[in-house]
This record gives sequence, structure tokens and C-alpha cells, in this order.
Amino acid sequence: MGQRLIVAVFDHEEDIRGAVAAARRAGLSIVDVHAPYLVHGLDRAMGLRPSRLPWICFLFGLVGAAVKLLFEYWTTAVNWPLNVGGKPWNSLPAFVPVTFEVMVLFAGIGTVLTFFVVAGLRPGRDASLPDPRVTDDSFALVLAPAPKDDSIDREVVEEMLSRFRPVLIDEQISMEPGR
Amino acid sequence: MIIAPPPQLELSRSSRAIIYGLIVVGALAAIVGALLEPQRMWMCWLIASYYAVGVALGALCLVAIHHVTGSSWSVVIRRVQEALAGTLPFVSIALFAAFIGRPHLYEWTSAGFWADADSTLAFKRAWLDWPLFLGRAMACLALWNLFGWAIRRGSRRQDHDGDQGWSRSNARWSAAFLVVLGMTHTMASFDWIMSLEPDWYSSIFAVYNFAGVLVSAVAASIVTALWLERRGPLQSLLTDDHLHDLGKLLFACSTFWMYVWFSQYMLIWYANIPEETAYFVRRTTSGWRPLFFLNLAATGVAPFFVFLRRDAKRSRALLSRVSLVVLGGRWIDLYVMIGPAHLETPRIGLTELGLAAGAIGGVGLLLVHLLRGAPVVPIRDPHLFESLHYEQ
Repeated sequence: MGQRLIVAVFDHEEDIRGAVAAARRAGLSIVDVHAPYLVHGLDRAMGLRPSRLPWICFLFGLVGAAVKLLFEYWTTAVNWPLNVGGKPWNSLPAFVPVTFEVMVLFAGIGTVLTFFVVAGLRPGRDASLPDPRVTDDSFALVLAPAPKDDSIDREVVEEMLSRFRPVLIDEQISMEPGR
Repeated sequence: MIIAPPPQLELSRSSRAIIYGLIVVGALAAIVGALLEPQRMWMCWLIASYYAVGVALGALCLVAIHHVTGSSWSVVIRRVQEALAGTLPFVSIALFAAFIGRPHLYEWTSAGFWADADSTLAFKRAWLDWPLFLGRAMACLALWNLFGWAIRRGSRRQDHDGDQGWSRSNARWSAAFLVVLGMTHTMASFDWIMSLEPDWYSSIFAVYNFAGVLVSAVAASIVTALWLERRGPLQSLLTDDHLHDLGKLLFACSTFWMYVWFSQYMLIWYANIPEETAYFVRRTTSGWRPLFFLNLAATGVAPFFVFLRRDAKRSRALLSRVSLVVLGGRWIDLYVMIGPAHLETPRIGLTELGLAAGAIGGVGLLLVHLLRGAPVVPIRDPHLFESLHYEQ
């Protein structure tokens, strides 16, 4: 069973900013905001926590560098020692450029894949849009009832958002349980 | 767009006393040093004046990049960089004065140096000719000063008439300057620094020096901008978003410096040609070793790990502290580049510290005058409004 949601659609960037701020002040829980492009400052207005993705990126980078160093040490010094210009088997300075590249590769691909997994993006997945026009020229604010009381009064929401000139206020049932 | 001119920089009596105190200390160290240990004094003079020329030149390069790319975010800190670039005429003279001390500095100027030289050095022998050396140095310094004068003049004129044509003409001057800088700075770093050890050569040396110039200029603009913010003029103009971009720039420049540092080291280590490796052997197997690695830690590794995080780039405390560490690292960088030509082991004493203090005081005094000579932001720049309301 999905969750009951209220979707408000706006035409202008300033309106969605104002509506988000007003909704937060009124204590409504904001499920998401959909916009056709990046709206500056929206993450702060929504009170989103900073993303933890940079830490994932850092960890992948560390793992990539470590794996690569071990591998190159094993190939050049253990498994198949080669004398290159009289350098020692374990020639760290020569390993640095490739280690750097592999670190960037691991960090980059790892971060993107982590994002896909966490966001549930996969081939063939249907887009769940509150309004099809958010991919073109509209902004949508999706609200949910406060966690404690299950009621979300549509009239109250309509009145609160009216000064931000909503184009449409609609009730929907969430397709994604548990979000 | 015109904004009300921001408040002027007012210097407290204690800051004034500190600046003049530093200059007096520097002058005393220079005089006493010249009498007692002229070679050591001139070496420190070369370090200090080349350091200062580098900061001014790097700042001018940042202003030029700003004009060429038509950036808007950096308008608010452009006057800071223009003031740093405005010190160029004075520090150029100081650098030129270093060449007076040439017999103590450049081994190849002594009579008979080339007599027993290898035949492979034939080209160097022709190139490193004292009158030619001075001519090249004068040409480089004159060209940089010309471009610096023209670019700063365009910016100041716009304050008066608000003509957007100045922005366009500055973009043209800047584009020409960047090309000229690339070529002349390469020559200058070969002449002034690399020829201290005339047997040695490294083709990446100019890039390495340029990276150092750029990173010191970014660090100096951050320190100056934050100081101006605390003193009043830039207060309420400088935002976290501007700082974030400056932090990114410092991160990028110091990472680039570290990359070139390693490239130079690795290529020479890999090729293992005796006349090239001698340079690093001298620096890694003697008393120079700690400074050699301290340089890498202060200019490259520390800013890299600190500024990986987003909030670090927005923190005034971290930005100013790490920038000071980078500025210190740049001094060590030059000391490790220049010192081993004359000294078996590093000697950091009153001469070194005194001349560094004198350079800080002298450049500080110039900066205060230059910053007071113009509004602290370009008040009629077409991108100023955008810059003041910059968000990222």
C-alpha cells in the first residue's frame, strides 16, 4: 500500500523556492522536489543532509590505490621479477603514475555505481514523475503527512501555497512504498 | 552597475609598526649580511625577490585568466589580485638588484669557468653570456610590467567612466599576456634559477616553477582577501561561495604543483643520467633531505588532503592557515632550489629570516598603498552584480 501524497506544481523558480520554505516552516514533510534544472540553494531550503557520496568516493580511491600497489608489487617483484635499467625490483616511483590512474578509475566508477544502486536507477526502470512537465518547464513539490498524524489537510496546504501561484495541486498515491 | 564605494582600508598603528619593523629588520639583515657573508646574503636576496616577483606575476596571470575567460565569480577579489600584481615594478627592481651580486651567485660568470667545461655545454656557454643574460632579464621584466600596467589601467579607467569597452580591451591584453608569459617565464626560470647549477638541466623546470608561482599567488590572494574582510573593506562582500572557489583554485594549483614536482623527480630518477641525477642526489642524501620532503608536504600534500572536503574549502580558519603553510612551503621550495648550489647543508639563520621578513614588510607596505589607491572592488565592472550574488 502506497503513501498518500500531495503534489503541487509551479511555473517559476522563485515560487518553488518560496513554497519549499513555507512548507518547511509549516512543519510538513517534504518528500521531494522535482525541477527541470538545478535550482541553487534548494538543498539548503529543503534541509537536506550533506551527501555521503564523497566518503564513498574517497574509500573507493583508497581501495583502488592499495589494490593497484599490491598488484604491481606482486607482478614486478614477486611473480616475475624483471631487471629494468638496474632499478630495484620494488621501484615505488615508477608505480606512482599508474597507481594514480587506477585510484581515479576506482573512485570515479565506484561513485557512479554506488549512486545508481542507492538511487535505484537501472536499465528499464520507469520514471516516477509527479507530473510529466517537470522534465520540461515546471517545478513540483511533493508533500507527505507528518509522521505522527496521518492526516494531511488538503485545504490547509492549498491555502498555504496559494500565494506561490500553484498551477495544480493534486493528491497521488506513492508508487514506492517505504520511501 | 554602480555600488556605493566600500569603506577604505584603515591601518591600525600596531599593524603599521609591524610593517615598518619588518622592513627595518630586513634592511639590517641585508646590510650586515652583505658585509659579513655576501654570498649568503645575495642568495637570500635572490630567493626573496624572485618569490615576490613570482607572487606578483602569478596574480597578474590570475587576473589575465579572469579577463580571458570572462568569469564573473572572481570580480569581487580581482582588485586584491590587481594590487598584488601592482607590486611588480618594485619587486622587479629588487630582483634586478640581485644580479649585482652575481659573482657570488652565478658560478658561470667567473673567469675561466668555461675553460675546462665539457664540449656538450657549447650551447650553454654561448647562451650564458653576462650582457645577454642582463638583456634577457630586462626584456622579460619590462614586458611583464608593460602588460601589468595596461591591464590594471583598463580596470581603473572603468571605475571612472563605466565603459564596457575596457573589459573587452582587457581581455585582448590578457590573451596576449598569457602567451608572452608562457614563453618569457620559461626563459627567465632557466636563466635565473637553473643556471645556478650550470651543469644541470631539466626540461620540465619551467613548468615546475610556473606551478610554484601560481600556487603562491593563489595563496597570497586568499590571505590578503581574508585580511581585507576582517579589516572591513571586503566585509559583507566576500561570501562562502567565493571562498569555496578560491579553495578549489588553491587545491587545483597545489595538486598541479605536486604533479609537476613528481614528474620532474620521476623522469630524472628513471633516466638515471649522472649529470641530471646529481641535482637530486645533492638534495636527498645530505642535510637538505628534510627540507626537500618538507617542501612537498607543505606545498602539495597538506593542501591536498585538507581541501578534499567541501566544508574545509568554505572555512575561513582553514583557508587562511593552509594558505600560510603553502606560502611557507613556497619559500622552502625556492630555498631547496637555490641553496644547494652554494651550501653543503641548509643554514637558516638571521640572514634568511631577516630577508624574508623584509620582503614581507616591503610587499605588505606596497599592498596597503595599492589597496588604498583604488576601490576594493571594481565598482563599475559589468559582472560585479553577478559576482556579489554568486551562488554555486
